[in-house]
Amino acid sequence: MIVLSKLADLFEDLAKRHRLLPWLIAYVLLLPLPFVLAGLFNEYLIDLVNRICLFILLAVGLNIVKGFCGQVTVGHIGLYAIGAVTSAVLSLEPGGFGGALGFGWPVWLSIPTAVLVTAFAGLIIGLPSVRLQGAYLALATLGLGESVRIFIAVTPALGSSTGLMMIPAPSVGSFTLDSFTSYYYIVMTAALLGIYFSFSILRSATGRAFQAIREDTTAAAVNGINVIQYKLLAFVFSAVYAGLAGALFAHMQPGYLHHNNFTVIEMVTLLLMVVLGGIGNVWGGVIGAIVVAIAYDQTKDLVFYFMDRPIVIQPLVFGLSMVLLVMFMPRGIGGWIEDFQRNRRFIRRSEERLSGSTRNT
Amino acid sequence: MKLKNRILAGALTVGVCFAAAATTYADDIRVGITMRMVSENGQAYGQMMMDEIKGINEAGGINGHMIKATLMNDECKSDKGVANANKLVFQEKVHLLIGSSCSSVTLPIVDVTAKAGVPQLVPHSTNSKITQKGSEWVFRVPVSGRYYGGVNAKYVGENIGTKIAYICAADAASVGDCANMEKQMKARFGVEPAYRADVQEKEVDFRAHMQKIKSMKVDGILVAALAETMARALVQSYEAGIGEDVRRIGSSSASNAPVPKIAGDAAKGVFFTAAYAAADQRPIAKLFNEMVKARYGIHAPDHDFSQAYDLVRIMEIALKNTALTGSLADDRTAIRDAIANVKGYEGLASGPISFCAAATPQCRDGNRTAVLIGYTKGGEDFETEVLARVTMEEDFGLE
Repeated sequence: MIVLSKLADLFEDLAKRHRLLPWLIAYVLLLPLPFVLAGLFNEYLIDLVNRICLFILLAVGLNIVKGFCGQVTVGHIGLYAIGAVTSAVLSLEPGGFGGALGFGWPVWLSIPTAVLVTAFAGLIIGLPSVRLQGAYLALATLGLGESVRIFIAVTPALGSSTGLMMIPAPSVGSFTLDSFTSYYYIVMTAALLGIYFSFSILRSATGRAFQAIREDTTAAAVNGINVIQYKLLAFVFSAVYAGLAGALFAHMQPGYLHHNNFTVIEMVTLLLMVVLGGIGNVWGGVIGAIVVAIAYDQTKDLVFYFMDRPIVIQPLVFGLSMVLLVMFMPRGIGGWIEDFQRNRRFIRRSEERLSGSTRNT
Repeated sequence: MKLKNRILAGALTVGVCFAAAATTYADDIRVGITMRMVSENGQAYGQMMMDEIKGINEAGGINGHMIKATLMNDECKSDKGVANANKLVFQEKVHLLIGSSCSSVTLPIVDVTAKAGVPQLVPHSTNSKITQKGSEWVFRVPVSGRYYGGVNAKYVGENIGTKIAYICAADAASVGDCANMEKQMKARFGVEPAYRADVQEKEVDFRAHMQKIKSMKVDGILVAALAETMARALVQSYEAGIGEDVRRIGSSSASNAPVPKIAGDAAKGVFFTAAYAAADQRPIAKLFNEMVKARYGIHAPDHDFSQAYDLVRIMEIALKNTALTGSLADDRTAIRDAIANVKGYEGLASGPISFCAAATPQCRDGNRTAVLIGYTKGGEDFETEVLARVTMEEDFGLE
C-alpha cells in the first residue's frame, strides 16, 4: 500500500513538472523488458507481453465508447477484424501463396490505411446508436460485428476458411521486425500511446461531453451537447484503437489470420477485460487486459483427470475466477484504484488541515 | 497490513507461476501437443496420445529417457494454437511438437516450428497447403486433402455420375475437400458443380439448399463439413424428399463417429474417403478397435483415432533412432532427421507411411493411400464397409 501510494505521489509530482514526463519515464523503463524476461525466464513471455499490449489497445479503445460514453457495443471485435484483414490484404503480394487478394503495399502504409478504413467502419457501426440504446444497441452492434466475421468466412479473397497467411512483418530498411523482441517495441509503443491519448480524451472537453451523455443523454442535449455527433465520435475513436490493434495483430508473426479469431467468444473476453478492470476507468482497462491475458495463459494447460479421462478445466477455472472477481469487485479493479486514490486525497487533505491548524495555534 | 500481505502473496504467486513455467527437465524428451479439445472425441484423441506415451514410459521409455508430454487445448483457433506452439517451443522447450487437429491452426504453426527449428508431426489436418509451405520441419501423418479429392472424384465419376451438388462448410478442411473434388471432377470428367452452396462452419439449416438440389435431379450430393454439421445436412436431405437413389458423399470428417450417431438412418449409404476403416479386417485393426472400445467406450474408432495412434508409434520409432546429445537444437535436428528416415511404416493407416528429407509435399505427406468407406448402418451401433483402397502418385494434385 505504501509502495503504491509513493508511486502515485511520484507520478503526480512528475506530471506537475511536465505532463509528458511520467509517460517518457514509463517508456524508458519498459524498454529493457524483453531482455529482462528472456534473461530471467524465457522468450515466450515476450510473446505474451506483445499479445497483452494488443489486448490493452482493444480494451482501452472499447472503454472509450462503453466506459466514457456509456454506449453498449458488442461489435468491437468486428472492427478489430476489419483492421486486421484490411492491413493484411493491402500488404500481401498479389497472387501470393494463400491465393487471397493482395496489393503489395508497404506495411507501414497498410497499417495507417487500415486504421482509417476501420475508423470509417466505426462510424457505420455507431450509426444505430443514434436511435437505439441499451440491449437493442448491443444486439445491433453484435449483428454488425458478426456480419463482418461471416463476410470474411465466405469470401475467398479475404482468406475464407483457409485464412490469410504469410502476412509480411514490418521492416526498417533491411531489418525485419519479425522477432518477439523487435515487435515488442512496436506494440508497446502503440499501447502506451493508446493509454496516453485515452487519458487526453477523458480530460478534454470531448471527454466531458462523452461523460455527460453517459450520465444523462437528455440533460446533455439540453446543455447544448450535440449528442449524435459525440456518440459517433466515440465510436470512431474506439474504432481507431481496434483498427490499430487489428493491423498490428495481422503483422505479428507468423502473420496468419482466420475468421475464427474474431468470434463472439473473443468479444466476450474483451468485455470481461473492461468489466473486470472497471468500466470508465482507463487504468482499469489496462489492468483488466493484463489480468485476463495472464489468467488465460496460466490456466490453458490445466488438465484435470477424472476416472483417467482428461478434462480441460481452463474454461471452468477461468470462468469461475472471473465470476468471483466480478461478484466481489463489482466496480472492477478500476473501482478499487479509484477508492484508493480517493482515500489518499482524503488523508492528504486531512494532514494538510491538521498541520495548518497546528501552525495557527 | 492485511492488504500488504495480500499484495505480497499475489506477487509470490505470480513469481512461483513464472518460475514453474521456466522449469525444464534435463533428461526427459519433451513433447508438446496442441489439439482441439472442445468435443468428447477431441478429448479422447488427446487422451489416447497421452495414454500411449504413458505406456512407452512404463515400458522403460526411449533409450532410457522418459517422455514428458504437455497437452494443450487450442479450441481449433489459430491465435490460440500459435500461442500454444510458442509456449511449448520457447517455454517448455519441447523436442517435438504435435499438432494440430485443425488445418486452420496447423497452417500458422508450421511457420512457428520452421522458424524455431522444431520438428512437427501433424496428427489430423488434411489441408494440402500445410506441406506446400516448404518447411523442412513438418511431417503429415494423415492423408492429404489432395489425395482424397482424387479418390472421391474417380469413384464418383465412374460409379455414380457427374451431376454433383456441393455443400461446402466454411472450415479449412471442408473447403479444401470441396476445392479438391471440384478440381478433380473438372480435370477428369470436364464437369462443373451442378449446384454449390458455401455455408457456415456450424450451419444448422440446409433445407433451402436441399429443395433446390431436389429440383435439379442430381446424381449425388457432396457434403463437406465437420461431423455435426454434416450429420444435420444428411438428415435434412431426406427431410427435403431427396431419395436414396441420389448418393450422399461425405468429406473426410464423415469418418468421425458423431456423423452416423447423429444422422442415424440418414447415414446409411453415405460414402467417404478416410485413412482408416473400422471395418478393416486386419488383426491389428481388430485389436485396435477392441482397445478403443475398452478404454474410451467408442464403438468404432474413426481415422482420427487411428492417426493419433499411428503418430505416437512413428514418434516412438524416430525417437528410438535418435542419439540425443543434450543440446536442444542438435536434438531437435536429429529427431527431424530420424522422422524423415521413417519408411514404410505399416500400422493402422490405410497404407504405408513414409517420409523423406526434402521439404516438399511429396516427401512430407506420409500416407498416400485413401480408403473408400461406406456406412451400411447408422445410429449408435453403426457399421461400415470398405469399398476400395486407392494409392495415389506422390505428386498427384500438385500444381
